[in-house]
Amino acid sequence: MINRLIEQTETPARAGVFTLVITGAPYSSQAPQTALHFASAAVAAGKKIDRVFLYGDGVHLASSLAAPPSDETDLARSWSEFLLANQIPAVACIASALRRGLVNEAESKRYQLPAANLREPFEIAGLGEWVDSVASDSRILYFHRGS
Amino acid sequence: MPDRTLHILNKPPEHYRHHLCLEAIGPEDGLVFIENGVLAVVQLPTSAPDRWYALAPDLEARGLIGQIGEDRVISFDDMVELTATAGKVISW
Amino acid sequence: MSTLIIIDQPPYGSWEGREALDMAFSLAAFDQPVTLMFCGAGVNWLRKGQNAGKVGQKSVERNLAAAPIFGVEALLACTEACNRYGLTQTDLLDGVTVTAVGPELTSRYDHVTFAG
Repeated sequence: MINRLIEQTETPARAGVFTLVITGAPYSSQAPQTALHFASAAVAAGKKIDRVFLYGDGVHLASSLAAPPSDETDLARSWSEFLLANQIPAVACIASALRRGLVNEAESKRYQLPAANLREPFEIAGLGEWVDSVASDSRILYFHRGS
Repeated sequence: MPDRTLHILNKPPEHYRHHLCLEAIGPEDGLVFIENGVLAVVQLPTSAPDRWYALAPDLEARGLIGQIGEDRVISFDDMVELTATAGKVISW
Repeated sequence: MSTLIIIDQPPYGSWEGREALDMAFSLAAFDQPVTLMFCGAGVNWLRKGQNAGKVGQKSVERNLAAAPIFGVEALLACTEACNRYGLTQTDLLDGVTVTAVGPELTSRYDHVTFAG
């Protein structure tokens, strides 16, 4: 299979580095699961993932307060374990996150909110992080909702 | 030789973006059906390019793995390789 | 790296379009070339005379009018979708170019994306 796949691509690998952008929310879309399977395969193939960026509804993946039933995959936990094990930086877009009630300690204090719920190792930052991936010519893959 | 574009399509055939994707595909491009997109293999659109594939776990999940030739079925490992080597990737 | 951001969601019914605009303005703010393309029901973002106060939202017309000032290179609208939604050039915001979707269009950009 792989031989045939390589044969059909004549352009050189210009992007050795991946950025994954997840815009589909867990439990509303398949996006976080597909992205995790892809990311695991990429790491296993020796590819570098420079960052995972959560945008729009995708920020819900960074919640530390999701408690799915025990017979369902805990998507936020699986993702966070994968990120920690592979030391991949993960960022939730600040504008998307604040709107949807995803905050870290600093933002919780700033807006005088009663709690913080951003799961480790996710961080909150601006779209500049995504712009950096665009400008640095990372191979950006988007995982949107499928409906 | 222009760079080839790899299109990744995760929407079912009725979805507007499914149509949009098929309109934007050039004959030299590649197309990977994933998630709900794999439902397209039941009745492959005439505008699909020669190089099209569908992701095995999504086909299996939907009971469609036997509907297409093995050479069209790809794994996540294959998808990583395709996305790394394509000139450009568009996720629809 | 030139970017094409496609908006195919209609205005006010979801936040995807706004979040696509944010992406475009961020690229422009960092001097990265960016073009916005409106397809499908997304072309309704470009209709003149929007007033979203009574649905409790801000009209996007002003944001879009400011796009060229912020450095967005072009606002494109899909020909077929404009026809479908009865949008002629006079109904559209100023500065919009109507064009067809196809491989020729997407091949002009290094990076093509949606907000969601």
